Amino acid sequence: MLGSVFLKTIRDRWVGWTIAVVAIWLFVWLGLVAYSGLDLSLLDTFPEAYRTLIGLRPGMDAGGLSISAVYGTYGSITFAAMALAMGAASIAGEEHQGTLSLLLANPKSRSHVFISKVLALVLFSAVATLVTWAISASTASMLDIALGDLDLGALSTHMFASTIFYGLLAVAVGAATGRRGAAVGASTGVLVVGFLGAGLLPLIDGGDEWAKLFPWYYFNGSEPLYNGVDWGHVGLLLGASAILAIVGLLGFLRRDLRGQSVGITMVDRLRQNPMTRKLADRLAGSSRVSSIWLKTASEHQIALVSACSYMFFVQLILGPFYTALPRSAMDMLAQLPEGMDVLFAFFGGGDMSTPEGFFQIETFGMMAPIMVMLVTIAVGANAVAGEEAKRTMGLLLANPIKRSRIIVEKAWTMVFYASIVGVVAFAGTVLGSALAELEMSTWNIAATCILLTLLGIVGGALALAIGSGTGRKGAAVWGATGVMVGLHVLNSIGAISDSMSGVSKLSPFYYYLGGDPLNSGLDWGNVLVLVAIAIVLIGVSFPLFQRRDVREKD
Amino acid sequence: MRLKRTLDIDITDWGFGRPVSFEGSTMSECAICTKGLTKHYGKVEALNDLDLDIQKGEVFGFLGPNGAGKTTTIRTMMDEIRATCGTATILGMDSHTDALKLRRSIGYLPGDLALYPKLTGNDTITYYANLRGGVDTSYVKVLAERLGADLTKKVGDLSSGNRQKVGLIQAFMSKPDIIIMDEPSSGLDPLVQRELQKMMREIADEGRTVFLSSHTLSEVQRVADRVGIIRHGRLIALETVQALRAKAVRQVEIELDAPVDVGVFESVEGVTEVRAQNHHVVMTFGGDMGALLRAVEGRYNIVDISTQSADLEEIFLTYYQDETAGA
Repeated sequence: MLGSVFLKTIRDRWVGWTIAVVAIWLFVWLGLVAYSGLDLSLLDTFPEAYRTLIGLRPGMDAGGLSISAVYGTYGSITFAAMALAMGAASIAGEEHQGTLSLLLANPKSRSHVFISKVLALVLFSAVATLVTWAISASTASMLDIALGDLDLGALSTHMFASTIFYGLLAVAVGAATGRRGAAVGASTGVLVVGFLGAGLLPLIDGGDEWAKLFPWYYFNGSEPLYNGVDWGHVGLLLGASAILAIVGLLGFLRRDLRGQSVGITMVDRLRQNPMTRKLADRLAGSSRVSSIWLKTASEHQIALVSACSYMFFVQLILGPFYTALPRSAMDMLAQLPEGMDVLFAFFGGGDMSTPEGFFQIETFGMMAPIMVMLVTIAVGANAVAGEEAKRTMGLLLANPIKRSRIIVEKAWTMVFYASIVGVVAFAGTVLGSALAELEMSTWNIAATCILLTLLGIVGGALALAIGSGTGRKGAAVWGATGVMVGLHVLNSIGAISDSMSGVSKLSPFYYYLGGDPLNSGLDWGNVLVLVAIAIVLIGVSFPLFQRRDVREKD
Repeated sequence: MRLKRTLDIDITDWGFGRPVSFEGSTMSECAICTKGLTKHYGKVEALNDLDLDIQKGEVFGFLGPNGAGKTTTIRTMMDEIRATCGTATILGMDSHTDALKLRRSIGYLPGDLALYPKLTGNDTITYYANLRGGVDTSYVKVLAERLGADLTKKVGDLSSGNRQKVGLIQAFMSKPDIIIMDEPSSGLDPLVQRELQKMMREIADEGRTVFLSSHTLSEVQRVADRVGIIRHGRLIALETVQALRAKAVRQVEIELDAPVDVGVFESVEGVTEVRAQNHHVVMTFGGDMGALLRAVEGRYNIVDISTQSADLEEIFLTYYQDETAGA
């Protein structure tokens, strides 16, 4: 598998893509099983306007519900994220690792390397969508769920175009700038903002036109699952991808290769300026390295700032947004038949007709846990395994400190950071609610944010425990992410299916929103359960790390 | 060429090649002592039954080719990895059970040094100093000056040699009783290497101990009192530099005041391949130089004598190339 740049890229990436495909297939399968227990005939009696609003179709069955939920959100986001990571790694990533200069020292042109990487990306996107399509269709038929008029092929075609777009966006930014961080940041920003914009804007009058500004609109805006392929949209995504590839290649051909320099930040300039040196040194220099926990905190500021900005601004705009929703839609939502709220179970559940339910479905259900765990899993996984991957653990442990102190201090950073995200989410929600005069209970918002913080700590503690036990950062990040996603699905399934309601209690997500904190306030029992899980996970990290050899490499 | 000349300089030129004798030393002076130290990774025997005793006030050179087990030994001493069996005792304390207490007394420079790229040299030094509960900052300045280290730049922007200097400063800065260094001169230019060797000798002269792993002979030859040679995880030689030197086979050329009788030289222990031509004799010699001179004394007057400087390189290669030596 090392015959060419193309094959080497395939070899480096196939495991990640395979895991993504298997994960999505598991979601489809679980969704089909869970929704198949529901009596959905009731949906046909809903008013037409309402059915359009929440994407219901006459005669819709479990297949349509679960496939549109899984493909439309988890699946397409997962593939976009895979492509984005691969795209950022392709040129800028090799530059960051210092392997690109050696690669280009061989008789291969920059264009050759670039095209090989892009082809590998295209191949993975195509194979992943094709395989997912095939296994989803065969799983449905195995479960005797008729997909009827649903055009799975059309949705897959749109998903392929969308995946390629985000991948090439990352390739282009990375190739043109040589900065991996910029590539990941820019394309993730476009993905997240687009997902929100294209999802939320059509809900308000005249928002449809604005939604067209976001690439995500061209993935799902035409509802390909029901309407077939919209070749205009697919063409637009693929055309934009081609332009991105050309721009990226031209940028790459013209510029100097970056060394492994860490670059100059604003703080560095302040530290060089005699006027500001003293203050900047105190902030960024001596205090940053005064203890392990502060040093750790300084390493994860970008993740913290991203998560906090997202939580603050989204929570802030959701309030006014809720009031902008058409009244007629609100009235219909109020008439939602008993028990139908399970439709939203995958998004954390909630009653769309109340501001609390709206906030729960739009953010607290799914995006808020993702944001807080983005931070905590990063800190938890890097705590032990990250130092080992960077080979700095040996020197750190050469100092007169116990291994347990490293875990304690780094866990403290994680708790501290999770709390900051929680506080910012609280502030954003309270302000959003006040701006729109929604009169949501401040105490209940606080209760929800406390539980959110604790859930984040549980996720981070899991990553810490895996990292402490294995010393492998990849295992810690992906193991913790995978387990937490699985537990979220488990909780959703418990909420959807009466026969499986017991399984929810196995998931920490149940103790997060299961007590409906936005309406009912804080359930101290739930707090205790989450705290206990976190303590156990951090607790097992000590002996796990204590008993083993320090790894030299990841 | 300049580099070559530097490498060929004899240790006595440096003023710190002093005679050392360890026969009379006792266990109480033992700085690092390993007994049957063994480390297996599955079926791979990285380290096998290693017995070492390194005295206080000694610079100990730990030599071996790549992958011989040098780093495994050091990482075991540092409690980064745990021995499959056997023990390492440092300053009378067990390297595993007393690890925390021990680290106060050890300065460490890992091989293939990795630091935090976004921190400046100063930040890096401050971080480790804080973890040690503070160090003498004026001494850090002295060290930085001696090594010519720029501590204001970010570590990620430094060349590997300059990064190594930051690592060296942190190893020396707490004035530890023992300094353990894995390939310390990697990336350093010859002038800085020479300064580092001086620093190591100073440490030893103060009664402190340096454990130095290397695969470059010239450095160990110049600075170490004793040398341990390891191959395939087993110690195959443990001797003073002098003893190794005495074993070194060298070319000796002597110009005498009369025609040479070959038999006079052939009878001296260690002499082989004598070739004589008129007043001139060339031989391969691997023994005590005094014995050779005594053999000549009284028979001839020596007009000129030249000897190729004894180089550990040759011994080293002999040990490594001879596969039966370690078996």
